[in-house]
Amino acid sequence: MTPDQTNQEERAAAAADAVIRLEDVQRVTESALAYLDLDDLLRELLDRVTDILETDTAAVLLIEEGGRTLAARAAKGLEEEVERGFRVPVGRGFAGRVAFTREPVVIADLDQAAIQPVNPLFHEKGVRSLLGVPLVVEGEVIGVLHVGSLTPREFHDGDIELLQLVANRVALSIERSRLMVQGQIAATLQRSLLPRQLPQVPGLRMAARYLPAADDSAVGGDWYDVIELGDNSIGFVIGDVAGHGMAAATFMGQLRSAIRAYALDTDGAGAVITKLAEFSDRMETRMATVVYATLNLSTWGVRIARAGHPYPLLLRADGSTEFLSDAGGPPLGAVGGQTYNEQAVTLLPGDTLVLYTDGLIERRGSQLSEGEAALAEVASTAPDEPELKCQAITTRLTEGLTIADDIAILTVQTVGLDELLEVEVPAEPSQLATARHLIRRWVEANQGTDDDCAAFAIAVSEACANSIEHAYGPRDGIVHVRASLVDGEAEVTIRDRGKWREPRDSNRGKGIPMMEEFMDDVSVEPTEKGTTVKLVRRLREGR
Amino acid sequence: MRPQLALLSLETQGDIELARVAGEVDASNVDDLSQRLLEAVPNRARALVLDLSETSYIDSSGISLIFDAAARLRNRRQQLRLVVTPRSFVGEVLAAVSMERSVAIDAALDDALRAVGDSDGSGGSDGLD
Repeated sequence: MTPDQTNQEERAAAAADAVIRLEDVQRVTESALAYLDLDDLLRELLDRVTDILETDTAAVLLIEEGGRTLAARAAKGLEEEVERGFRVPVGRGFAGRVAFTREPVVIADLDQAAIQPVNPLFHEKGVRSLLGVPLVVEGEVIGVLHVGSLTPREFHDGDIELLQLVANRVALSIERSRLMVQGQIAATLQRSLLPRQLPQVPGLRMAARYLPAADDSAVGGDWYDVIELGDNSIGFVIGDVAGHGMAAATFMGQLRSAIRAYALDTDGAGAVITKLAEFSDRMETRMATVVYATLNLSTWGVRIARAGHPYPLLLRADGSTEFLSDAGGPPLGAVGGQTYNEQAVTLLPGDTLVLYTDGLIERRGSQLSEGEAALAEVASTAPDEPELKCQAITTRLTEGLTIADDIAILTVQTVGLDELLEVEVPAEPSQLATARHLIRRWVEANQGTDDDCAAFAIAVSEACANSIEHAYGPRDGIVHVRASLVDGEAEVTIRDRGKWREPRDSNRGKGIPMMEEFMDDVSVEPTEKGTTVKLVRRLREGR
Repeated sequence: MRPQLALLSLETQGDIELARVAGEVDASNVDDLSQRLLEAVPNRARALVLDLSETSYIDSSGISLIFDAAARLRNRRQQLRLVVTPRSFVGEVLAAVSMERSVAIDAALDDALRAVGDSDGSGGSDGLD
């Protein structure tokens, strides 16, 4: 056998070997899809790479935000590189050069090479030969993969090709993993930090939207919340934490919990924001802006406190608009020791309060006041129904734009108290007070006397209590209340979808006599689909 | 503070237990009120005076509470007196169910306290004085 023949056979064997190795690589990278955690994935890949290329070391460095430095993300045989948080400027040294030139770099013998690694670790460990290739995704270098040998070794073209092949797959896996992580952040944000659904409150219609920024990595710190404060009031929050990504989302979650806790045991919107500011000062993390408003469900009185946040918009039923700018203070975390005051307004029937974050009104190259004017214009011409209004506002204000910042919007509307009133009351005892206050307001709005108001308050409350007690029991349901006025005669129907049971105890039967005492006429109509109570009383106007 | 639909305040005046309910009473808070009210009346108390002059709303569940409390106290030979402002909403509701036939009602707190005292004077336990 000639040396040539031997050489040829060796090469053929090596080639066959390489095919098997390649299959290994494929198997590894394919199974790598199963890893959600990038570090687990890279550890596995480096194991396989050192195995396949028979090298002593392997490492992945990724380009950091800003693109100027490479940081070691995973290493085998050079673990300290990661532990010490080693960073290489792009363009300098061995890895820096690979990233800068986007070409493979081979160092046959480190002792005699012109290019030297920046990291002294290679010498400490006794690495002699190195091969590095760029990690490229869609034409962008995202990092470097390199392997090293403790004994001098020639890396051949075949080795380079093989490593580049692995690198391409690694790069794709990294990118996929990053996107997955980004997606998870966004999903977590949506799922856990925003209300899954808004509470149902008699006399109010609410709607909210959250629009993430177009760029995945810009998933940010906007949030909204609705807090049921107890028997007769409700709190609304909208806020925006500076910055983006996981850190902003985390701080947002902390603020959200904090304001919920303060809201439940602190009287007054201004006091709640003052406490939240104190909390932020202690956290010393980042700035945030927030608006907190409370609404009294029997008077529809609103108290608003604001920390550096855009002005809430009050849209009156007649179409006029007003930005609520009277009370305010600096953003949370901007200046310590601040006290926040509050602005009081009273909502009239059919009014809408619009809370939003700056993403809705800030446009590059235009003034904030222009954004506000556009919002007021769109809000007053959009459909009245809150869901449709939210939809129209966000659609029209973001038309043709790439959403650079995330957007949150929360609208709260009081029902109209015209001749016809229709509301849905959650079948819970805690909602009775709200239901009777609402009917009282409706009777008042339709020129009923104090006696009329009191009469309907008790009759409607009793009828609702019957539905809650007899029709639904412990399971949640809805009671429909419909009030109409025809020729001075007020008629209120209370409809549920259950069958009334026999009273649980004798005392509970007092509801109907009570209704009869205060109404001109009471009828109870049980049907297959539910029970309807009809209450009629002529309003004693101008008595 | 988390707003409460009704606030119950209790006070002991000698052997009279005085309970004031301010706010609204309905199915959402009646069980809680009922329990706290009955726990507040010790065996040695001669009477419970329930002051409803600051109560702005009461429904049939609140009426039940009063009838129920009256029955329990009667069994224990204890008196119940209500203080209700005449022509108020609560007054009308109590009139609608003829409450005055089962439970003594006074227009002012002083009247109620005096009435308990008087009944003591004419009752059988004045041997202690």
